[in-house]
Amino acid sequence: MAVSPPRGTAAAGDTPAAAGGSGAIALELHGVDKHFGGTRALDGASLTVRSGKVHALLGGNGSGKSTTIKILAGVYSADSGSLSIFGQEHPLSSYTSTVAQHAGLRFVHQDLGLFEELSIEENFALDAGYPRLPGGGIHWKALHERVARLLAEYELEVDPRVPIRALRPSDRTMVAIARALQDQEGTDRILVLDEPTATLALHESELLLEKVRRRADRGQTVVIVSHRLQEVLSVADDFTIFRDGRVVGVLTDAQPTEDELVEIMAGGAVSALRPTGSTTHSTGEPMLQIDGLYGGPLRGVDLTVHRGEIVGVAGLVGSGRSSLLKAIFGAVTPTSGTFTLAGEPYAPRHIDQAMEAGVAMVPEDRGRDGVFADLAVAENLAASVLRESWIRGWMSRSRERRTALALIDRFRIKVGGPDALFSSMSGGNQQKAIIARWLQRSPGLLLLDEPTQGVDVMSRSDIYALIRDAARDGCAVLVASSDMSELHALADRIVFLRSGRIGAEVSAVGLESDDLVRMVLKDPTLSITLPDFDTKRARP
Amino acid sequence: MTTTSPETSRALKRRPLSPLRLLESYALLILTALVFLFFSVNPTSANTFPTIANLNVILGSQAVVSLIALAALFPLVSGYFDFSLGATAAAAQVMSAGLMANAGAPLWAAVVVPILVGAAVGFVNGLFVTVFHMSPFVTTLGMATLIAGSIQWYTGGQTIIIGIDPAITRFGSSRMAGLPTVVFVVLGVAVIAWYFLTHTPYGRSLYAVGSNASSARLVGIRVERNVWWSFVVAGAIAGLAGVMQLSRLGSATADSGNGLLFPALAAVFLGATAIKPGFFNVVGTIIGAVFVSISVSGLTLSGASGWASPVFNGVALLAAVGLSTYLGRRKKRG
Repeated sequence: MAVSPPRGTAAAGDTPAAAGGSGAIALELHGVDKHFGGTRALDGASLTVRSGKVHALLGGNGSGKSTTIKILAGVYSADSGSLSIFGQEHPLSSYTSTVAQHAGLRFVHQDLGLFEELSIEENFALDAGYPRLPGGGIHWKALHERVARLLAEYELEVDPRVPIRALRPSDRTMVAIARALQDQEGTDRILVLDEPTATLALHESELLLEKVRRRADRGQTVVIVSHRLQEVLSVADDFTIFRDGRVVGVLTDAQPTEDELVEIMAGGAVSALRPTGSTTHSTGEPMLQIDGLYGGPLRGVDLTVHRGEIVGVAGLVGSGRSSLLKAIFGAVTPTSGTFTLAGEPYAPRHIDQAMEAGVAMVPEDRGRDGVFADLAVAENLAASVLRESWIRGWMSRSRERRTALALIDRFRIKVGGPDALFSSMSGGNQQKAIIARWLQRSPGLLLLDEPTQGVDVMSRSDIYALIRDAARDGCAVLVASSDMSELHALADRIVFLRSGRIGAEVSAVGLESDDLVRMVLKDPTLSITLPDFDTKRARP
Repeated sequence: MTTTSPETSRALKRRPLSPLRLLESYALLILTALVFLFFSVNPTSANTFPTIANLNVILGSQAVVSLIALAALFPLVSGYFDFSLGATAAAAQVMSAGLMANAGAPLWAAVVVPILVGAAVGFVNGLFVTVFHMSPFVTTLGMATLIAGSIQWYTGGQTIIIGIDPAITRFGSSRMAGLPTVVFVVLGVAVIAWYFLTHTPYGRSLYAVGSNASSARLVGIRVERNVWWSFVVAGAIAGLAGVMQLSRLGSATADSGNGLLFPALAAVFLGATAIKPGFFNVVGTIIGAVFVSISVSGLTLSGASGWASPVFNGVALLAAVGLSTYLGRRKKRG
């Protein structure tokens, strides 16, 4: 086992370790830098993928592994660096998705891009074209035979004529893989799997990875990105580990343990954002009590949040973080369970009732669920207080603008003025404005879903300060985040959602951020509760 | 509270619009004035167009179009089409006439019942669109066809002219302060619509839904309920438009109402290019309706044939939709 030292960017590039092994290098990325504005997403990153092997890319959120994949896919263009695929140099300055396709890279993303209602064979044909009859019509027989042959090759015992939605989840992913590789001749293809198991239940992902492993044993080169370490360990030969935009470890033909990987991944994880002198403002007086909450992915959540306390909700994708917040906000109705808010029974059937009770929520997807992009900043801020601003049968525009100005001042939002379009602001300022929209209501309970997604570092610390101020004023705060350093910086107490219930609970004081990363990554159950095969099928 | 910096106190005053933006906001109004001038001096229409009699005809005929345009405004602000408004108005007209001529109903009932039936049509449209999530486009188009067919069945293709209370036709041809009285009905409805759309939480919520329904839901707006109401309000105003049409014409005939709907839609979309560019608004809608009426009347009096009016309405509708889409997109880009 060859572990290159941390900061091993150079080492990763010029160790020809692979050359000694089973032969050729399929892909080599060297010294890649990528900046987004002022932030450096990749710093001299390198990647060497051996032909016919499964290569895993590992790292936490924002470590640079997704950026690397996107550069390989031609979605982002690298600032500098070099790339060769099957021995051929591809200048990164003119590298596009078309070049990637021609060079032999095939991507299967978490969103498989399949047409659920169409048959398997049509899904293949829409990608590669329909075989034609001499008259111009579709040669269904030829298509059917070709797809049946491909499916057999990929160990899929299904009729090519059944629709995608009739397949079990792992088979859908396998169909997407087969489709991506359908034009393969020989072994000149590199299959890149980006979080292929993120939405699969445990046994489904095992089935899938076994098949992937068998493809690799027959010579298929695979690059796989996954958060689930145990799975990766079972399937990968080589590992490249990212942290803070750098490659911090390269393992070739290795059999590392989970702890070793976590150690390299967490390393000296960032704790710079931890506000100095942070003390809990919790009064110990319960603000929100949840008892036996069921609904969607939630399978019996019990939780108490106190006044002035910031509670972090951690968990993998699909663990029910967002569903929990939405249920509290009345955006989805739980099947069973009770809430107690400030000592009173609380069962919101609509969001306006939750707002009336003093609950506020900043949604996860700002662009989709938060903003009115074509309206002015003042109108966006006023959206949460429409009824309160209706005074004597009138909505005063000048008062609305005065309120907006006060909020812009108080929350230090950088914007041209209250009349500026909301979309004219940067992501960080948009997020501050959304938080301001809710904090002007002086909520008793503030729910935040991924509060700093797509927010730059400076705005991030501003937003943390805003949240802490709200807690100091007695607001109970529940933050759901996939970013462990964020929960570490912000929360007084962190609960881990696993299989739809609270699996563990830790006090953030005294813990380091990488301890949290370990706790999430080492999720012992690994089971993800998402709409299963059967429930999906019931859909019309 | 922090002290306001000089920068913010400057921002507190509404920044004056740049000359170009100002021109954009009032372009439709200026264009309307220019069209008016053109037909007033144009030799073929100069004798007949700028007369008091003709202006009263223009104002009277634009009244019904304006009412339907105001009706269409409510669902459109929240992003929904209602194609059944022309047919609803036509049905209200026939129903009002029929109630008086065939059922011997009193005048008040002949005015109130068609408005309530219009609201009921809107209620059904809203039910289909918001509760059953049916496509508003096809739903209201189907409703329009259904209503037009029902009118055919009820009238048997005949025109109802006898038995209509003369009071209603007297109202339709009466004047107030030198203007047709129906113009004041339109102004009244326009003021109420303006108040509701700009100065109530309900109206503001419709604009929010039109901007981003998902965001609107997450700030506590009852999206479905409010959109549903917008269809009911639209139906009621269309019912009123039908009664006004009866009062002006003195008769009711089997008609699909499309002749009213399309100029009205042109007016709403033209209106979205003016006053508050990129957004549907009441004042712009009224200007749009006047523009359409003046242009059609001018064309007719210049000796253009019968095809001129639908061709003009079509072109105006296309140009208006194009322009308002362009302005809306530019806004989103910022």
